[in-house]
This record gives sequence, structure tokens and C-alpha cells, in this order.
Amino acid sequence: MGAWLNGPMTWGNAVVIFLWGAVFLMIVLGFVTYAIYFERKVIGWMQFRQGPNRVGPLGLLQTVADIFKLLIKEDTIPRKADRLLFMLAPVLAYVPAFSVLAVIPYTQKLYFADLNVGLLYYVALSGISTLAIVLGGWASNNKYALLGGMRSAAQMISYEVPLVISVVGVILLSGSLNLRDIVEAQSGGWFWNWNFLPQIIGFAVFIIAAVSELNRTPFDLPEAESELVAGYHVEYSGFRFAFFMLTEYVYVYAIAALTTVLFLGGWQAPAPFLEFVPGILWFLLKFVFVVFFLFWIRATFPRIRVDQLMGLGWKVLLPVSLLNVFLTAVYIELFIKG
Amino acid sequence: MFNIEFNGEFAAFFIFSTIIVCGAVLMISLQKVVHMVISMAGVFLGLAGMFVLLEAEFVAFVQVLIYAGAVSILMIFGIMMTNHQDAGGEKVLPLHEGLAAIGALALFGLLFYAIRTTDFPDPLPFQGGEENTMKIGQLLYTGYIVPFELLSILLTVAFIGSIAIARRLPEKINGASGGDNAGIGGGPAGPTAQLQTKEAE
Repeated sequence: MGAWLNGPMTWGNAVVIFLWGAVFLMIVLGFVTYAIYFERKVIGWMQFRQGPNRVGPLGLLQTVADIFKLLIKEDTIPRKADRLLFMLAPVLAYVPAFSVLAVIPYTQKLYFADLNVGLLYYVALSGISTLAIVLGGWASNNKYALLGGMRSAAQMISYEVPLVISVVGVILLSGSLNLRDIVEAQSGGWFWNWNFLPQIIGFAVFIIAAVSELNRTPFDLPEAESELVAGYHVEYSGFRFAFFMLTEYVYVYAIAALTTVLFLGGWQAPAPFLEFVPGILWFLLKFVFVVFFLFWIRATFPRIRVDQLMGLGWKVLLPVSLLNVFLTAVYIELFIKG
Repeated sequence: MFNIEFNGEFAAFFIFSTIIVCGAVLMISLQKVVHMVISMAGVFLGLAGMFVLLEAEFVAFVQVLIYAGAVSILMIFGIMMTNHQDAGGEKVLPLHEGLAAIGALALFGLLFYAIRTTDFPDPLPFQGGEENTMKIGQLLYTGYIVPFELLSILLTVAFIGSIAIARRLPEKINGASGGDNAGIGGGPAGPTAQLQTKEAE
């Protein structure tokens, strides 16, 4: 991809880049379809149930049927809603979710954009989705939707701060904001060269804050069904609702890929004698493990209360992530530079 | 006067400036406050695009993170908490409007003429390079360390000050209604504590 992006912009190149974008969109949609199936199956097995097993062999077509149902449903807009913002909000939520995927490197050769501020790009764009969620909740003109939107904004802003500060340690160790350079800095053959062991505090903060950013259990307060009816998307139906769901699962993809790249060594093999296995397989294995981990958490944890949520974010995660930055800086000053 | 080179950069510049100008005009002319904030977020995004064109990626994405993300959300939060009834459109005098339009057009013409006829000295070839983020960091921690630290202190003071102002109100309420209950037991303390944490943000 790098050759096309850095080459002169001709119509031919533009078409090639556009087609790659379309292919990637299809891959992401395929991932989302089967991530939902996988999630329902895994949670089913953990709770001694079967999970979806009627539509198609082993229930494989269940999500396809669900999506088809969403697409042919009537598209309702409440009469007292703010029409323009109501229609804009799902778009504004999805576009950043898909755009952040552009900077994720999969292997040494397979990547889309080689941006020198890749990590910052990810963090900056993912903030815009929060704006969309608040707008969706406000434009619905419904108190449950507004409440859900407010909760969501409060939660996402509170947890974005420790999320960003927790990766500062990784940036300090690798000396770059470019995601490809961060993976290169974790090379060394063995798995203990990956950032998750040297940055164990940052890794823990990052995982907790990431689950919270994804609005998933135990931090799924913005869409707590039993308290809020449904959250910010109460009034949404049909394909607009589908877009919000899609956004959430695309962020699952993005966070899993980002965790793999930042802390689990990206495409690096865990031991030198395993390097004959292609890097893309290692990336996929780690990626699938992180996705499974997210589903696992969802199946086993209860939801926490809203004041506990804010307390955890500001009184525990933020100081711990700042301490991590300080410790990393001291370590670099004492052992690497000196 | 109109010697413009049509290439990709010009097209991108044209698109971003259209976004910025449209956003700025809509910001003034729209009726609902939330719509204004959204058009302002559009202006911020267009500005970020301009920074990318100028090869200042770091500034561009910090612009998106701070302005398009944080500041816009903060403003929307503030607006949602307040009463948002539509103020009826003010009466505008036609004469006043016409004079304002003529004045604006004249100013535009003057500025356009002045900018297009000025000979700008050829700037030195830009040395942004690959690692301008690294260079910003190095400059911040060598040449500009004192202003940087002073700004951090200023922001910390503002941060603590806003927390202090936000906290004062609930304590007064507690004091008025018998301060002994405050903080003891889950029931009465719960909502107040929540309010405080929310305001502390």
C-alpha cells in the first residue's frame, strides 16, 4: 500500500486506493458479522447454553439474518426529534470508527497508511465518535436517550485520559508515535521483549480503559438495558440502529488490533524458532485472543455502579497511569541512557 | 492576479477552505445552539486538514483531539444542561442589512486585491521532514522549557480552581440541611458524591 500512497496521485492510483478501501470495508463487515456470532456462541457455552444454532449450519447464518432484518425494518424518526442531527449522528459515529483502522499495520509489508503520528491519529479520531453518541442521544428528544448519551460522554471522556496516558510508556520505550516503528521496537525474538511485560502497569490500565471505551460489560452503563431502557439509541431503528451497533463492533476490531500492535508485539513471533510461521498468522492469533478476552470479560463480570465507575477512572486509573509514565522515564534515564 | 496552479494540493486546499468558510458562516446564521457547535466542530476539522496540507501532522491531530473532540463535547455538555428555547428571529432593518453586505463585500475586495497583488518573497524550501513530531518534542524540552513549564502550572492552577468552584455549592447545601448526615450512609451521600464527581470533570 505504501507504494501507492506515496506515488503520484493519478486517476489509476486513486481507483486502486479506492478499491483497496472497499475490499477492506468488506473484510471489516465480515469480521463484525462473525464477531457477533462468535460472541453469542462463546457466551452461550460459558452459560451452559447452545447459542444460536437454527439458521444455517451451526447457526452460522444467524447474524446475516439479523442484519437483513435490521435493513428491511421501517426507518422511524420521532416527530419531535431534531431531524438533521438524528440522521447525522450514526454517520458521524461510524466514519471515525472505520477511519482509525487505516493506521493499523498487520505485517511488515501489509499496512494501509504509514503515518508518523499514527497513535495520535487513532486517539484523536476515536474522540469524535463520543460527540456522535451525545448528539444521537440529544437529537432523539427522549429523556432515556439523553441520559444514556450523557453517561456515555462522561464515561468515554473520563477513560480516554488514562487510556492515552497509559500508552505514553510504550511511546517512551520505542521513541516513536508510528505504529510500525512501535512493533519494530518490540523485536528481539522472545515474547518477553514485547511491551506487555516491561509495561505491565500500562498494559493493565490500557485494557481496563479500553473495555470502558468500548462500552462493554462491566462498563456498559451507557446502554444498561435494565436501567436505561436501551441508552442513547432508544429511538433508533432499522439501519440507523445497525450503524451504531456496527460502530461498536468496529471499535472492538480497532482496540483488539491496537492492543496487539502496542503491547503484544504485532507480527513478531513469540520465540526465535517459531519465526518460520508467517507474521500475519501471529498477528491474527493475538488479535483473536484479544477479541476472545473481551467476550470472556463480558460473560463473567457484573456491571458496576456509575459513581464507582467515575471513582475508578479518576482516582485509580489516572494516578496509576501517571505513575507508570514516571517509572518508565526513570527506568530509561537510569538503565538505557546511563 | 489569477495565476493559480491547478493540482491536488490546490483541490485539497479548496475543499478544506470551503468546509471552514461554510462552517463559520453556518455557526453565525444557524438558530439552534447545538447546531452552531456542530458547525464549529466542522471548522476545527477543516483547520486540521489545512495543518495536514502544511505537513504539520502533529498539530493537525492535536487540533482534532482537543478542539473537535474535547472542546466541542464540553460545549455540548454545557448547552444541554441549560434551557434551549428558540429565541425568535430578531427583526432586521433592510437598510442595515444592505449596508452591512456592501461593507463586507468592499472589505473582501480590498483584502483580495491586496493579497493577490503583493509580491511575497520566495520562502526558503520547507524543512519539515519526516520527524517533525520528534523535533517539536526536542524544542519543547530544550529551548522552550520555561514557557512550557509555566503553561503547565497555569493549566494546573485553572484545573484545581475549577474543581474548588464546583465543589463549594454542594457543601453549602449540606451545611444548610444539617451537615451531620452528609457522608454517612450510602443513601444521602450517594447522589451528592455523584454530582461532585461529575462536576469535577
